[in-house]
Amino acid sequence: MKRLKFKKEACIGCQLCAQVCSAMKEGIFCPDKARIGIETYYDKGELRYADNYCILCGICAKNCPVEAITLTDHIEVDEDKCIGCGVCAEKCPKHVVKIREDKAKICDTCGGDPTCVKTCPQNALTFE
Amino acid sequence: MSEVYGYQNCVLRLDLTNRKITTEPLNMDWARKYIGCKGLSTKYLYEELEPGIDPLGPDNKLYFTTGPVTGTSVPCSGKLSVTGKSPATGTMCDCSMGGHAAVKIKQAGYDMIVLEGQLDKPGYVLIEDDKVEIIDADDLWGKGSHETEAILAEKYGYDHAIISIGPAGENLCVMSCINSDYYRQAGRGGMGAVMGSKKVKALAIKGTKGVKVPDAKKMVNRVLEFLKEDCLQEDNTYVYDTGTTAFAEGCGDGGIAPYKNFSDTTDPNLDKYNGDVLLEYRVGKRGCGSCGLGCGNFIKWGDAIVEGPEWETMSVAGGNAGACDPEQIIRYNQVADDMGLDTISAGDTLVWAMEMTEKGIHDFGIRFGESDKEVEYLKLMARGEGVGKDLALGVKKCSEKYGGEEFAMHCKGLEFPQYEPRGSWGMALAYAVSSRGACHMTSYMANDEVFEESIPAYSAEGKGEVCYGMAEWNNAKFSMCICDFWATCSYEIMTELLELTTGQKYTLEEFGEVGRRVTHLARAFNNREGFTRKDDSALPERLFTEKLKTGPAAGQVIPREDFESMLDQYYDTLGWTRDGVVPEEILKTL
Repeated sequence: MKRLKFKKEACIGCQLCAQVCSAMKEGIFCPDKARIGIETYYDKGELRYADNYCILCGICAKNCPVEAITLTDHIEVDEDKCIGCGVCAEKCPKHVVKIREDKAKICDTCGGDPTCVKTCPQNALTFE
Repeated sequence: MSEVYGYQNCVLRLDLTNRKITTEPLNMDWARKYIGCKGLSTKYLYEELEPGIDPLGPDNKLYFTTGPVTGTSVPCSGKLSVTGKSPATGTMCDCSMGGHAAVKIKQAGYDMIVLEGQLDKPGYVLIEDDKVEIIDADDLWGKGSHETEAILAEKYGYDHAIISIGPAGENLCVMSCINSDYYRQAGRGGMGAVMGSKKVKALAIKGTKGVKVPDAKKMVNRVLEFLKEDCLQEDNTYVYDTGTTAFAEGCGDGGIAPYKNFSDTTDPNLDKYNGDVLLEYRVGKRGCGSCGLGCGNFIKWGDAIVEGPEWETMSVAGGNAGACDPEQIIRYNQVADDMGLDTISAGDTLVWAMEMTEKGIHDFGIRFGESDKEVEYLKLMARGEGVGKDLALGVKKCSEKYGGEEFAMHCKGLEFPQYEPRGSWGMALAYAVSSRGACHMTSYMANDEVFEESIPAYSAEGKGEVCYGMAEWNNAKFSMCICDFWATCSYEIMTELLELTTGQKYTLEEFGEVGRRVTHLARAFNNREGFTRKDDSALPERLFTEKLKTGPAAGQVIPREDFESMLDQYYDTLGWTRDGVVPEEILKTL
């Protein structure tokens, strides 16, 4: 199964990944609404990395009380079933699941051709 | 009213004197004519500032301006325009600051933040979307920019972009900068002092609102093509590999790397601190929000840590100071950033002081090669202590006081960037006619004259037109908020990007008109403040009388008549009077 992979030493922290994710999924450029949370920042003289992205571990699917989440080669959320309880967001080890308008928003790797990977200008993100 | 795309159609205005916070719609007529960033802020500045006001008084305003493509996936669009009347020159001043602040401001829902008036005591501004507060900053006042940023990030989180000033800005030093993201600056013209005069120590900004465009998916896909097929091509990607350290070689080989306060060029020790040496100590790469190219080199040399140094700093703390210690160059950069000093202006003042001391005109207690002292002097300058009190005035005022005006390297009070004009005559013209004093960002003549050698370097012929061509292009590009380093970007690309973002169509001619308009208006602002040809002509005598001694440009001076001819050409190209004034018939079209 292909998964997102992140090489932090290649990341320049531009957040184009989050920009294109929000645009494709939410129709607006808004990194805060993205399903990927990769960024870099300085912290007292150190360069730090936040590397929140879906690793397809399936913990969200396993813990969903209403079986709204399925994992095949990607995650799919059935919004008709989702009750927005937030268990998935709580359990996600990468802190990348968001609940908005009572629905879970989870990376679906754009159906196997992730836009973030195509966009990443320094190939810090790959899908392999 | 139909939906506005790209823009947030919102200006956040803080009347600091009355602690009144308001929002208003963006002037969309001006946005149409000036787009954003540099152009739009120049228009606001021109319209809102009374002539003759004190740059450090309550009537000056400080504009933080984004543009329509800010906060989208358009690459190289993360620059923030920081604009006000300069306390260093009395001209208008626009700086382009990197980092993530521009994206956060736009995401918070604002095209522009205006600081006006003055707080009665130190404060900082917290912006989280619609929530805007002025908070007491007594505990931050006096601290370095880096510590300020660390404290605010700890308090509010790393998802807040922080803009701050150091002690230099607080002490109204005319060469103080504004910092963001630790190592990105609105460097030139003393914008830090303008913020300091308003007693605003910092802004912390978080934005979660988003930027709407007509068709987000279509835009992502088309922008991706521009990113891969144009932006990430070899002509631009050198900035990832080397950043501006590569200019050391170009300037050195071309005979325009200044040496010992521009007394000569061609530092024999350049290879001791060039890019090859510095980049050995690179531990990370960094770009601005929505960057793509990633010019920032995060370098650690023991406890000397900086994202940089850029060529300007390498030169001013290296060869131009008669020094060659790479660790001290990094430390110089780190301390200048933390203190909130422009590395260029502070450095040029220090190397001038070195020459003054060496020549026995006035003993500033610092000589060429004393790079450790250069670092210590920065702290004195920022805090206005001891010898630093005078040096903090910059080379113009210092040389008026102590002599040495003929080698005080500035134009209108802004110190020279690190390109020797005698080896690139067009740079003399660029420094002379730039709207903020000696600036290399509007017309980078050294590129054509020296790096590419596409036009002769030691000639006045045709330079007015070339210099203006670059100014028009850059003024359009910087109004579009596209970073200088996307060098292959074109009017065609920008026109399409603008339409994808805003839905508005511009012809190529109209886009060029934006650049022309900004050039006129910035000049008109300065004319209104009394600046004319006499101020453009007042470059240091050294350029016209002292021949360079060493290197490829040895023997060169700029004959005065050639320089004046370049000015004539430039003014004629723009339709200005021979006194460098924008005529009324042009003014009324702006």
